[in-house]
Amino acid sequence: MPLSPIPSTAPFAEEDIEILNRVVGPATPLQRAWLAGFLAGIDASAAPLQPAAPAQPAEPLTILYATESGNSEKLAGDVAKAARKLGLKPTLVDMADLELAALAGSKRLVVIAATWGEGEPPARAAHVYAALMGDGAPRLDGVEYGVLALGDTAYAEFCAIGKAIDARLAALGGKRVVDRVDCDLDFAGPAARWISSALKALEPPAAERGTVISVDFGSKSVPAADHGPVEAEIVEHINLSSSRSDKETIHLELAFDGPAPAYKPGDSLDVYPQNDPAAVDALLKAAGLSSDGALRDDLIKTRDIATLSTKTVETYAATTGHQYVKELVAAGGVRDWIAGRQIVDLIEHYPIALTAEQLRGLTRPLAPRAYSIASSRREVGEAAHLLVTAVRYQTHGRARKGVASNFVAERLKKGGRIRVKLKPNRHFALPAADRDAIMVGPGTGVAPFRAFVQERRAAGAPGRNWLFFGDRRFTHDFLYQLEWQDALKDGALSRLDVAFSRDTPEKIYVQHRMWEQRRDLVDWIERGASFYVCGDKGMGKDVRATLVRCFADVKAQAPELAEQSVAALERDRRYLQDVY
Amino acid sequence: MNEARPPSANERIKEASEFLRGTLAEGLRDTVTGAVVEDDAQLVKFHGMYLQDDRDLRTERTKKKMEKAFAFMIRVRISGGVCTPRQWLALDRVARHYGNGTMRLTTRQTVQLHGVIKSNLKTTLKAMDDVVMSSIAACGDVNRNVMCNPNPFQSRAHAMALELARAISDHLTPRTPAYREIWLDGERIAGGEDDVVEPIYGRTYLPRKFKTVVAVPPSNDVDVYAQDLGFIAVVDERGDVLGWNVTAGGGMGMTHGEPETYPRTADTLGFCRTADALAFAEAVVTVQRDWGDRSNRKHARLKYTIEDRGLAAFRAEVERRAGKPLQPARPVRFTSTGDRYGWTEGENGRAHLTLFVENGRLREPALTGLRRIAELHDGDFRLTANQNLVVANVAPGKRVEVERLVAEHGLNGTLSGLRRNSMACVALPTCGLALAEAERYLPDLITALEASVAAHGLAEDDIVIRMTGCPNGCARPYLAEIGLVGKGPGRYNLYLGAAFDGSRLSKLYAEDLDHDGIVAALDPLFAAYAAGRQAGERFGDFSIRAGFVAATGNGRDFHANVKVR
Repeated sequence: MPLSPIPSTAPFAEEDIEILNRVVGPATPLQRAWLAGFLAGIDASAAPLQPAAPAQPAEPLTILYATESGNSEKLAGDVAKAARKLGLKPTLVDMADLELAALAGSKRLVVIAATWGEGEPPARAAHVYAALMGDGAPRLDGVEYGVLALGDTAYAEFCAIGKAIDARLAALGGKRVVDRVDCDLDFAGPAARWISSALKALEPPAAERGTVISVDFGSKSVPAADHGPVEAEIVEHINLSSSRSDKETIHLELAFDGPAPAYKPGDSLDVYPQNDPAAVDALLKAAGLSSDGALRDDLIKTRDIATLSTKTVETYAATTGHQYVKELVAAGGVRDWIAGRQIVDLIEHYPIALTAEQLRGLTRPLAPRAYSIASSRREVGEAAHLLVTAVRYQTHGRARKGVASNFVAERLKKGGRIRVKLKPNRHFALPAADRDAIMVGPGTGVAPFRAFVQERRAAGAPGRNWLFFGDRRFTHDFLYQLEWQDALKDGALSRLDVAFSRDTPEKIYVQHRMWEQRRDLVDWIERGASFYVCGDKGMGKDVRATLVRCFADVKAQAPELAEQSVAALERDRRYLQDVY
Repeated sequence: MNEARPPSANERIKEASEFLRGTLAEGLRDTVTGAVVEDDAQLVKFHGMYLQDDRDLRTERTKKKMEKAFAFMIRVRISGGVCTPRQWLALDRVARHYGNGTMRLTTRQTVQLHGVIKSNLKTTLKAMDDVVMSSIAACGDVNRNVMCNPNPFQSRAHAMALELARAISDHLTPRTPAYREIWLDGERIAGGEDDVVEPIYGRTYLPRKFKTVVAVPPSNDVDVYAQDLGFIAVVDERGDVLGWNVTAGGGMGMTHGEPETYPRTADTLGFCRTADALAFAEAVVTVQRDWGDRSNRKHARLKYTIEDRGLAAFRAEVERRAGKPLQPARPVRFTSTGDRYGWTEGENGRAHLTLFVENGRLREPALTGLRRIAELHDGDFRLTANQNLVVANVAPGKRVEVERLVAEHGLNGTLSGLRRNSMACVALPTCGLALAEAERYLPDLITALEASVAAHGLAEDDIVIRMTGCPNGCARPYLAEIGLVGKGPGRYNLYLGAAFDGSRLSKLYAEDLDHDGIVAALDPLFAAYAAGRQAGERFGDFSIRAGFVAATGNGRDFHANVKVR
């Protein structure tokens, strides 16, 4: 017979008490503890500023993240999840939204900071970062903190932002309770270890902790569910660039065995590439390991065989003992030497026979590459489209090829298969249906806007859509030209301004078209339009600067005021960018 | 005579166009397509431009989600083919910046730029306007570029011929302000009465294209008999021009399989003094304006008007409108249609250098060579009707430098008799009418034929060979001793028997030949010519005497007595 632990005096109806007894009565102690935590958590999440359980107040933890690609944000969610299990009450704060003064009130602080490109903060967080580094930053005496830095050793200023924040927090009086860890692209393992040691250091004394089991409320605090990679079939593989173009831009249509990943316009797909076998063979030849088939296979499938960092050169010097490389390291010449070079250059330039383990030790895990999804499920169903330009260039007398883009362009074929994983980007989502959208997307930056236009057409969204597109040549690089013509005819696109840089001796870019259309541009924005920019990072900067100039000119504002107008748009999440 | 039949679609477009404006200005503002709307594509011809697309790319475009690779051909108006070094430099610059990096010298003494995309049209035309060049009426149903024999070594006769060519050109240029408004951002000028805006043309212009030349014997390089209207200089022993024989009713175009269409050589109407030449030119144009067929564009050229009405009636109407009779034609004698290559000395102490330009296509390094020459040259450039180029009036002190630049940039070379007398139209990939290759193929065909002529000892003999990609005849193939006219991809009709001096049309000899077929068909004819020709006998004349083809009298006779092998 079931026990009846719920007293008849409980504030429930009689039949509810019966139901509760039926569940709680036979429950194990673990199930009951879980339920206790769950019920406490409901309140905590409904009113996050209230203590989770008045009798046993949970200790607050501020988790601050500065994210560009979403990795820091995802890790911040992991921290929150683990912290709740420890009885802490985490608050997730996007650095882009941080009120700097509030930081002084934090008792415990975890910072997860990405470094972007050549030592820059994530664009959306740049203004807060600048304020933190500036004279007006508040004192943080007594704040216990730890910093996790994300970066890429392929760039010279590895994890510069994390390092700077770490130092700055200390200078402001903060108390570092856990040492910073600087993560490379393969951050998952080091980050997980850091999170557990950081939380151990930040954990309040046992007496202060509650006994409830923390519950993960999923979507409320952490971005969408994190599924593993899935396989997709290539059902269309078209080079959209004309045969006379300097470029090769692949339109890829993926079909899934089941439903497509639940992507939204603005999201990306991580593509899991493989290396060019020819590049692997060149590397193996240089290392004297051409006969090692197993190594070859491993390198093709799982290792980043290109990226040459200071660390790689130091490892090479240490493990091989190569005299010249040691001298290069000792002389501090590595940073200059590696510019534009890859691992194969190191081995060819300073040849020495390597073991398979030594060669492998020079490589990083092969990371997936994210591409903005160029379709809307509302229009294409259980499919996803990607737009990928093959990256090819020449440095130090050798032709270089981007790994993922050339994997797509050269080795994927219609009918073939590919591994992909959804990478949500909630910072690049469509505005409300009745709001206007201004989209600046030259080159493959146009991909998410194809998704936007498809989505808004299918949804019958009344908001207007204005696209700025640019590329090299009108005749040979006008991506999706016929589709845009149709979209203009059916009204899915209200305006399209194009800029082609190689059609005239003086180069014309999208920002020139913005400037020409500045009156309408400012008018749209003042009527509530959201402004989106996607594509090359340098372009993103130029576009922002141009928008500031547009405001200054149209509104007759001083440059600082115009800058504030655009910064306000960013704070309102009406200036959104996805640049790479 | 065609009152019962409705006007052609083009007549309606012209009528509604408000003197060639149409909706071109709006079309230019649409930056998402490289094309203009259909009616405007007809009107833009009157402004000297053709909307074309790169036919090499057609198959890939839809798959790549792109419209056709549209671009415009811009044909410049260069009366008499004479331009200054400054004008040459301007054309060279726009060809490199906005065109496809080449300049195309045409069979009608002008320059075509290919591959100019819509967004660059205005910039290009403004750059031309800066050096007083225009493309108005270079195409379309109007009097087009007026050609003139460029023989600079006959300085006095040429000067008069050029003066007449320019006067005719100016007199017959459309007056509509549309060109300035649309391309040069000129102010819109309010419309007036038709006869005020276009006193000669009216609002529907001519029924069809109209071509005028001025020739100076003994050279018939301008192919005077292939033109709607011609003036042949009658020169006395001292080299002075006494007046002009007026010709009318020549034209090349025809359609495969439609024998009611045919090429025709012009008739000589009579002789007039220089002072009356303009009046007769205008009279011929206005008679064609009023009498020409406006319902069937394949029957609208002046040649059909004259055939239909009769030469006598036509001449009488021209004389009535000009207000005076023509005198009997004076004897003139042409010797050839070709150019004379190399240096010649002019009567004015300056020298002239005629350069062979294969099929008129100038690309690097030739373009750079000519640019360097233009930078130092204080004479002029003269485009020939054979797609060649004369660096004219070179100062004695600059001759050595010009020679050096010519050699450095490969502008000279030794040519076979066949190649130096060759011409081809543009055809593929840009011309929308082409059925087969011409410019891109003829050089290779000639290489193959050179082996044949050399084997028969004819390598140095001048034999005129011309190829077109369709039967419309831009390279005047029916006046070539060997004429090849595109029928389909890789297939040509072979015409023989035209006169070397451009006075007699050819006749169909064989149909649908491929490359090997052409070579195989011509080789025995070369052999027979080498063995059986009389002293000085031309290949075209021999072709008739030997019975390869029957002689063609004139237009209506062109399709008669054909015995196709």
